[in-house]
Amino acid sequence: MAKKSKSTSNGSAMRKKNKKKMKMKNNLSALNSVAMKSKVPKPNPFESIWSRRKFDILGKKQKGEERRVGLSRSIAIEKRKKTLLKEYEQSGKSSAFVDKRIGEQSEGLGEFDKAILRSQRERQLKLKKKSKYNLSDGEEDEFDIQGSGSFPERDDFEDEVPFDEDEEGKASGSEKRSTILGQLDLHGAESDLEERLMAQENMPKSKKEVMEEIILKSKFFKAQKAKDKEENEQFIEQLDKDFASLVQSEALLSMTQPNKMKALKALVNKNISVYHAEKEGTSAAQDKFSSQQEKPDSYDKLVGEMVMDMRARPSDRTKTSEEVAQEEKERLEKLEEERQKRIFAGDDSSDEDSDASEDKEASSKKLRSISGDDLGDSFSQDAVPKTKLGLIADILRSENDNDLESDDDDDASEDSEDDEDHDEDEGSDEDGNEYDKTQSLKDWEQSDDDNGDSYSEDGGGGDEEEKEDDIGIHVEMTNDKMSSGSNGKQKDSLDARKVKTNIKKDLLGQGELPYTIEAPKTFEEFSALLENRSDDQIVEAIRRIRTFNAISVAAENRKKIQVFYGVLLQYFAVLANKKPLNFKLLNLLVKPLMEMSSEIPYFAAICARQRLVHTRTQFCEDIKNTGKSSWPSLKTLFLLRLWSMIFPCSDFRHVVMTPAILMMCEYLMRCPIMSGRDITIGSFLCSMVLSISRHSQKFCPEAIMFIQTLLIAAFDKKQGPSEDSKLYRLMEIKALRPLLCLQGHVGEINTLDFLMLMDLPDDSPYFSSDVFRSSALFAIIETLKGFVNIYEGFKSFPEIFLPVSKLLSELAKQDHLPDALLVQIKDVAQLIEKKAQEYHLLRQPLRMRKPKIIKTEVPKFEENFVKGRDYDPDRERAQRKKLKKLLRQEAKGAARELRKDNYFLLEVKEKDKARLAEERAEKYGQAKAFLQEQEHAFKSGQLGRSKKRRR
Amino acid sequence: MVRLYKVKGQKRKKKEKYDREEESEQLDDNDIPESPKKAKTEGSGLDNEKADQVIDEMPGIPIVPADTGKKPGVIFILEKASLEIGKVGKSYQLLSSDEHANYLMKNKRNPAEYRPDIAFQAIQTILDSRVNKSGRLKALYVRTQQGILFQIKPHARMPRTYKRFSGLMVQLLQKLHITAAGKGEKLLRVIKNPVTQYLPINSRKIGFSHSSEKLVDMYDYVGTVANDMDLVFVLGAMAHGKIDKDYVEDYLSISEFPMSAAYCISIITTAVERKWKIL
Repeated sequence: MAKKSKSTSNGSAMRKKNKKKMKMKNNLSALNSVAMKSKVPKPNPFESIWSRRKFDILGKKQKGEERRVGLSRSIAIEKRKKTLLKEYEQSGKSSAFVDKRIGEQSEGLGEFDKAILRSQRERQLKLKKKSKYNLSDGEEDEFDIQGSGSFPERDDFEDEVPFDEDEEGKASGSEKRSTILGQLDLHGAESDLEERLMAQENMPKSKKEVMEEIILKSKFFKAQKAKDKEENEQFIEQLDKDFASLVQSEALLSMTQPNKMKALKALVNKNISVYHAEKEGTSAAQDKFSSQQEKPDSYDKLVGEMVMDMRARPSDRTKTSEEVAQEEKERLEKLEEERQKRIFAGDDSSDEDSDASEDKEASSKKLRSISGDDLGDSFSQDAVPKTKLGLIADILRSENDNDLESDDDDDASEDSEDDEDHDEDEGSDEDGNEYDKTQSLKDWEQSDDDNGDSYSEDGGGGDEEEKEDDIGIHVEMTNDKMSSGSNGKQKDSLDARKVKTNIKKDLLGQGELPYTIEAPKTFEEFSALLENRSDDQIVEAIRRIRTFNAISVAAENRKKIQVFYGVLLQYFAVLANKKPLNFKLLNLLVKPLMEMSSEIPYFAAICARQRLVHTRTQFCEDIKNTGKSSWPSLKTLFLLRLWSMIFPCSDFRHVVMTPAILMMCEYLMRCPIMSGRDITIGSFLCSMVLSISRHSQKFCPEAIMFIQTLLIAAFDKKQGPSEDSKLYRLMEIKALRPLLCLQGHVGEINTLDFLMLMDLPDDSPYFSSDVFRSSALFAIIETLKGFVNIYEGFKSFPEIFLPVSKLLSELAKQDHLPDALLVQIKDVAQLIEKKAQEYHLLRQPLRMRKPKIIKTEVPKFEENFVKGRDYDPDRERAQRKKLKKLLRQEAKGAARELRKDNYFLLEVKEKDKARLAEERAEKYGQAKAFLQEQEHAFKSGQLGRSKKRRR
Repeated sequence: MVRLYKVKGQKRKKKEKYDREEESEQLDDNDIPESPKKAKTEGSGLDNEKADQVIDEMPGIPIVPADTGKKPGVIFILEKASLEIGKVGKSYQLLSSDEHANYLMKNKRNPAEYRPDIAFQAIQTILDSRVNKSGRLKALYVRTQQGILFQIKPHARMPRTYKRFSGLMVQLLQKLHITAAGKGEKLLRVIKNPVTQYLPINSRKIGFSHSSEKLVDMYDYVGTVANDMDLVFVLGAMAHGKIDKDYVEDYLSISEFPMSAAYCISIITTAVERKWKIL
């Protein structure tokens, strides 16, 4: 009981320490185990502690889930005590006592059971055969000793085993071994007998025996066959009999046809007349079938008809452009021949009639043969590549409708005035109208009111000079287009006869135009040809030259046409420079020029470049001597306009248009504005730049700068805007006077006629009149509006136009401005400001770089993740990893076990040491006490033993 | 997965330190590249001022002041997220009320409390916000109802579908961390409680509760917080109940109506974005 109390005190001490650390208390747990051994083991509070799971998962049941750490620890210590401690205790000894009593090693047996086992064993030994011969000593004990002595060899074997082998029950082991041996012997005897039997069975047979067997078998099979055959025959006979009886009974009659029945009967009765009856039946059926076949089929009929139908045939192929040109040429040649004939015949009236009738026939044959314009048109249809004229065609298409409407109006007013014009230009009366427009300004301007709207989007609005020119050319072309349409052709056919007579009259008046004309080589030749001709005749002549020398007809014609193109261009330039300007003819010339330049684009470009270079050098000369006005002449302007129509303006870089635009900008930039005439030319150039850059969206700062300068010119000198120093610098170069400053009130704003203005001398009083000024301003602002509309897509729009709008708003404050102009100014200024505002709204704040989105990464996870499973796609690697892990775990476990063993041993040793020390101290104390007592007795004179005796 | 071959150079384990050390390291990283920039801006400060004046005068060009120095960030903490996994049949699944109602009943749990979709929505809303895209979300912590705290890195692209999200959570709660695909970086990680040890010192911890007396307009409230302060928002990602954490300095109610966690987050992020002018 003293032991127990000790253990409890130890337990309490342990509890305190254990809270600090579990591993440190090996010492104490050893004591604890001592406590466990005591009879009534008091429950160790540490053993009742369960291990807690950190991340509990609902529904999960793990193998080592509910673990009691304390309990397992004490169990382990117990185990060590049984094994390791024992070994340790024996390690210092040279021999060991081995308890070989039966049942001593197995723990589960009680004392009584052990005794039973032992007595059983004893009896068994007695009953053995060997022991029969043993001499009985009569005494149980002796017998027992002898029994044990009867296995001397076994004892020897036992002795060989070293003592330090593990404590598996050695005696029981030996017993087992003996029983196993016994069993082996028994089994051996049995197997011997079996083998003998097997050998007898497997003995090879002799030859005779084999043969006998075979013969026997074959006999048996023969008998079997014969028997089968006999049975078969019997069976067939039986069947025949049965069948005959069935037929006789006529039960079959109800099931089968009568004739078949007959046949069957015949079969039964062995009658041969069956075949006849069967034939009768089949022939009847065949007759029926043939009667059905002979009916006529409607489908067959249809098929037969279809075969007879006509097949589709290929039509004539469409002619190529070369062929058309060739035909045209041949036709002209024929006509020329006829003309020559007629000249020699000299009979006008009859000829005319015949001619007319011929022509009529011709016209009925081919509608387009009469009208010159028509022919040209058809030509253009065939020969002009679409790519070249795509731009112009676009413009025309957009305006065609508008023009149609306005032209209708014109027709109404013009019809009364000049009928002959109407007659003269058969298909295209509008040509005449246009001509009239240019001649009589008033008419033009009236009609312009109609046109103006449609044109304002296009030409920059109110710039009349430019507009007129544009329309002159455009409308002419639109008419061509129109006449190419069905409308024009109808007209042709209607008026064919009437027109013919008119032309004839003209020809009589001015000399007849030959049908076949060789392409003139020089300008003189050409001008000689065209001398004293009417405009229409000139156009007709050009047309005939071109048709006669068409490039597609002959190869050498290219050369001719090229030369002719140069001549024609020169003619155009000369015409533009003539003082009484034949504007209509100029317009008419544009069309053949355009068509030709599309035929020979390379040459046309070379021509244009040459002229440009020439003009440029001249311009440079002009600008050097300050006295002369360096603004371009009318010729240059017209040529520029012509090129802008011939060549595509929207190309990013073009051999002709790029230098042409640069040239125009240079004019605007470098030429000083000295007079009203300069202003007119400048604003015309501006509007031209506008029309060119409309499609290309190219930015021409010069034009806007020029407009700005002009606007500044509208201010008074004194109150002009002062803050725009940069503009002032520019104005100094331009040496600008307030040319456009309105002095007095102006009632109305006229649109300006560019040609008329150009005709006026530099110092004409009109240029200094307020009417001109206001109209010029109006025109400028219209152009500005055009620019605003074009450049609205630019990101720098506010920067470009805001200064202008500032100028405009200041201009609006000026005196004497007519209302219409004021409204216009305010309108444009507002437009600019509105758009600038939009751009300001769109602008992003300035930043060094755009804010970056943070880079994201995708987490990697498995579907149906289970902890502990390796998700490596490489099976082998996963396996290897698993094994490695296992190995590591095992190694760790082993190390841990060893460590714990060491701790345990250390503890035991410590304890031993402590015990020894204690013993020694006790002995020492005893000895010391004894000595002290002696000394005390000696000193006191008692001579000792007084106490002991007392005890 | 293990690399096939050893990569030369410093090992990731040594390089990557977690928790507080990592944060401080990050701060260092931020500071280092910025310092030369700062010096530069200081050197040319006068010029910049002049340039600014010039630019100010130009019409139509709005000027945004170039912000130099460290920007304050936002931290979200989702409390009481009902993210719990269970072994249903043979597989582990994220328990949700509509999928595992019977299972939960068998295990004597209240199915109404198992709403992982709330946390899913909330996380998605936080990570989708402009605050995060602009890199101003400093961290996102989620604490489950069981008390497991985990951290989601702001640059983790969380799965967009609930199914995949639940798969991710199942793995996270078993494996305790999720790495980035193709990299070793840990995007999600279970970390030690309490969460306060991870919060920056100069921060305002704001809790949200419908039951709070203090009803404020979020934008106004955010405006009152000092500009250099980090904002820590603590929200509950559960169906019922409220959060009561002692580390929260201020409890707010931002609407008169009870709101879902996701919408509440969107209000917060919008307010913060407006304050910091993140467009």
